[in-house]
Amino acid sequence: MAVIEVNDATKTYRRRRRPPQKALDGLDLHVAEGGVHGFLGPNGSGKTTTIRALLGLVRADSGELRLLGRPVPRDLPQVVGGVGALVETPLFFPTFSGRLNLQLLAETAGVSRVRVEECLELVDLQDRAEDRFKGYSLGMKQRLGIAAALLKSPRLLVLDEPSNGLDPAGIRDVRELIRRLGADGSTTVFLSSHLLAEVEQVCDRVSILARGKCVATGPVHEVLAGRATGEVRLRAPDLAGARAVLEGAGYAVTPVDGALRVQGVTAPAELTRLLADQGHYLEELSPVAADLESAFLELTEDTP
Amino acid sequence: MTDQRPSLLRAEVHRFRSRRFIRILVLLALGGFVVGLVIAGTQFAKPSAAGLADAQRIMAEAGQQQEQFRQECLKQPQPPGQTAEQTCGPPFEASGLGVEDFMRTKPFVFADTAPGAAGGVAAGTAALLFLIGATWVGAEWSSKSMTALLFWEPRRLKVIATKLAVLLGAAALIGAAAQALWLLGAKALAATRGSTGRLPDGFYGDLLAIQARGVLLVVVAGALGFALANLVRNTGAALGLGFVYFAVVENAVRVLRPKWEPGLLTNNAAALVSKDGLRLYLNETHVDGQGQLVSVREIVLSHLHGGVVLVLTAAVLVAVGGVLFARRDLQ
Ligand SMILES: Nc1ncnc2c1ncn2[C@@H]1O[C@H](COP(=O)(O)OP(=O)(O)O)[C@@H](O)[C@H]1O
Ligand SMILES: [Mg+2]
Repeated sequence: MAVIEVNDATKTYRRRRRPPQKALDGLDLHVAEGGVHGFLGPNGSGKTTTIRALLGLVRADSGELRLLGRPVPRDLPQVVGGVGALVETPLFFPTFSGRLNLQLLAETAGVSRVRVEECLELVDLQDRAEDRFKGYSLGMKQRLGIAAALLKSPRLLVLDEPSNGLDPAGIRDVRELIRRLGADGSTTVFLSSHLLAEVEQVCDRVSILARGKCVATGPVHEVLAGRATGEVRLRAPDLAGARAVLEGAGYAVTPVDGALRVQGVTAPAELTRLLADQGHYLEELSPVAADLESAFLELTEDTP
Repeated sequence: MTDQRPSLLRAEVHRFRSRRFIRILVLLALGGFVVGLVIAGTQFAKPSAAGLADAQRIMAEAGQQQEQFRQECLKQPQPPGQTAEQTCGPPFEASGLGVEDFMRTKPFVFADTAPGAAGGVAAGTAALLFLIGATWVGAEWSSKSMTALLFWEPRRLKVIATKLAVLLGAAALIGAAAQALWLLGAKALAATRGSTGRLPDGFYGDLLAIQARGVLLVVVAGALGFALANLVRNTGAALGLGFVYFAVVENAVRVLRPKWEPGLLTNNAAALVSKDGLRLYLNETHVDGQGQLVSVREIVLSHLHGGVVLVLTAAVLVAVGGVLFARRDLQ
């Protein structure tokens, strides 16, 4: 079952004395249950808008949105108990302690105080739980936001750029937590991020967003690494001879300083056999590593 | 993990009780009330026998002087078209002054003061609740914890209605407590600094009715502060709007458009908590029943008028704020 489904959603923000700003432009999104699903896109591509629309904070102009199988915002009251969310910066009352802020939410949802303490511990805030929220560092605020999102033990956990403002240790902890949650089988994590490395590290699947549209979706390694499908680099004592054999078999080959680049390779073992049959023995055969950064840029770059 | 029933109402009551600024405001108001009572205590004193004799002597002297002056005035030729009464004033006995007016410190008379001051206490409590209502919801907006709450209860109208209900409940409690305190304070002043005085028939019924309408005024003021802050989504801006209305708009209306005075909130508030409604004298020229051109018209704003105008105003502002909140995109 899909925990998130978006079909052809559009949203244009009307702005005072400025032209309207298109944020979602026919977005399709499908997030299957289980694991960690990345929602990757550059700043301003519409990630937060998508999440706000799913949570009923902004109204999409058109399109169909579903959370946990129910249409939203109509059925949001019925499904919201299964969805925990942290959207952009955490929003808490500044003069209340971290604990009180969580307790008030817990009372609203009928969550026990024991669970409040569990979640505080999970994000390592129990020692500072009695301090006022406004005195927290950015990282502590973010962690409290994650704790709040976890309070409901949600089936779907939506995290919008959760590592914003965290120091490297905090980022590592959060990523570990996300991976753990995604692996436990009862929670699907939907992680929005503009950081390729973050998605690569923690996500099983990814959807890439560019200017309000989903431009690619699938398992992380297919979407990002798989972009350079079947390009290998090989070396052999007789480069010219090997090249002739490969071209004879229909491969596109380009010589590059002391080696050959072969495109369109689906099974590298095939090359080995082909060349060995003709008496060429390989000194090196390696897949050309996909350049993730450029794959990402290629997917999201400006194409009008 | 749900071992207790979800309850937005319980959470909001908890939130209200935890708001430090609201507690400070209530404590400050309580302090102000006590200080006011102490100061009032110094202004009144039980008449002693000697004090009474003094006052009677001063009154007699004043009466003599006044009468002397009047007699001399009457000997002078009177301006045409004026009676002697009009030029020289009434005889001293008709002036309505009593011996207590000549006491150095007057006694506190419960029967005379308690009902009117109950209206004053209601007005003060109303100002307090306007502030509390504004900060209650205004701070939720500026901290955006209003938005965060919607992840937990997406029915926006339910959220805003619950917050309003908590405020109105608190307003009724605070308004009633203030009136109870005033009743106790007035009794204490009467016991130590004066007397109960002669209670007319139905005195306590009238007093309680004024106090009950005072509680209504407090509740309406809370709703107004809440509605304004919810509309502009900021406490300071709401208080600014309140200031502009009460200090600028109302005074401008009094000067420029006296005809509109029956619609002013302060007039209606005064009408609501006074014993018999508010008498307004509007400066305007019109032709009366006898075909005479008169320039002052008397209007009585009833309790009902006051209550209806106030409740409707608050209801409209609350409703507009609620509808906008329900439809708005939130950040
Ligand atoms: N409240 C708003 N008013 C006007 N424009 C907005 C508003 N919120 C977002 N936008 C615009 O919509 C686009 C998408 O923004 P957003 O969803 O926040 O992207 P992301 O989260 O991917 O960075 C951006 O161009 C942004 O400037
Ligand atoms: Mg964003």
